Amino acid sequence: MNLYRPDLKRFRFLRWFDFRSWRLGMIAYILNRVTAIGLVLYLYIHLAVLTMLAQGPSSWDPFIRIARAPWFLALDVLLLAGMLIHGLNGLRIALTGFGIGVRGQKPLFVALMIVAAVALIAGALKIFAG
Amino acid sequence: MQNRKRSGWGWFWQSVTGVALIGLLGLHMVAHHFVAAGGLRDYQQVIEYLSNPLIVVTEIAFLIVVTIHAMLGVRALLFDLGLTARAERMVTALVIGVGALTILFGFWLTYTVTMQGSMLTALLAP
Repeated sequence: MNLYRPDLKRFRFLRWFDFRSWRLGMIAYILNRVTAIGLVLYLYIHLAVLTMLAQGPSSWDPFIRIARAPWFLALDVLLLAGMLIHGLNGLRIALTGFGIGVRGQKPLFVALMIVAAVALIAGALKIFAG
Repeated sequence: MQNRKRSGWGWFWQSVTGVALIGLLGLHMVAHHFVAAGGLRDYQQVIEYLSNPLIVVTEIAFLIVVTIHAMLGVRALLFDLGLTARAERMVTALVIGVGALTILFGFWLTYTVTMQGSMLTALLAP
């Protein structure tokens, strides 16, 4: 059973690894897809971890003590980075998809990534401050 | 063009759920990471948090919206592999199945933890 369209010799995702095509639009596209994969993986890890709640405090509270350790909080900052990049870049994609800001989407992307960076710094400080 | 036509509704709903997620995920992150004492909620704090029905409804809405958004994203990613129409239909059926199971699991978990909380509250009541 052939599941691939014979007219497509190169998969579109292979362009992600072609550095020659890494212009701003491609960087935005790659960032969107890479953060999406990371966030889907996180969603299922998160649900698996939350299962400990069903086993009561003897299971959940020791995990929370580990999760409050600085090295674990660094993973929270990484998660926040993924959410901010994906969310704000995704907002740009949704807006341009509806025909809003199509001509200014490159400066919009740069502006949103600056907002993401500022929010990440503020979020990281809050996460580590407790 | 045919592929674009098939995935058109997926793109629309992904945009709608994506915009909804900005609010729901923002609320979830603030409630769990920026408000709770110590940064994360221990078991007792989770039970107290889920004792508010409005919070349960919000968390369930978050679960449904995030799952739909994630499954549409996985579908779009797999469609980028240049699949045949038959394979695309299989992928759509697969993400619907996985998404439904994910939401059912979330319902079960929320129900179990909320019930544990109710029992705990009843036991501790004077």
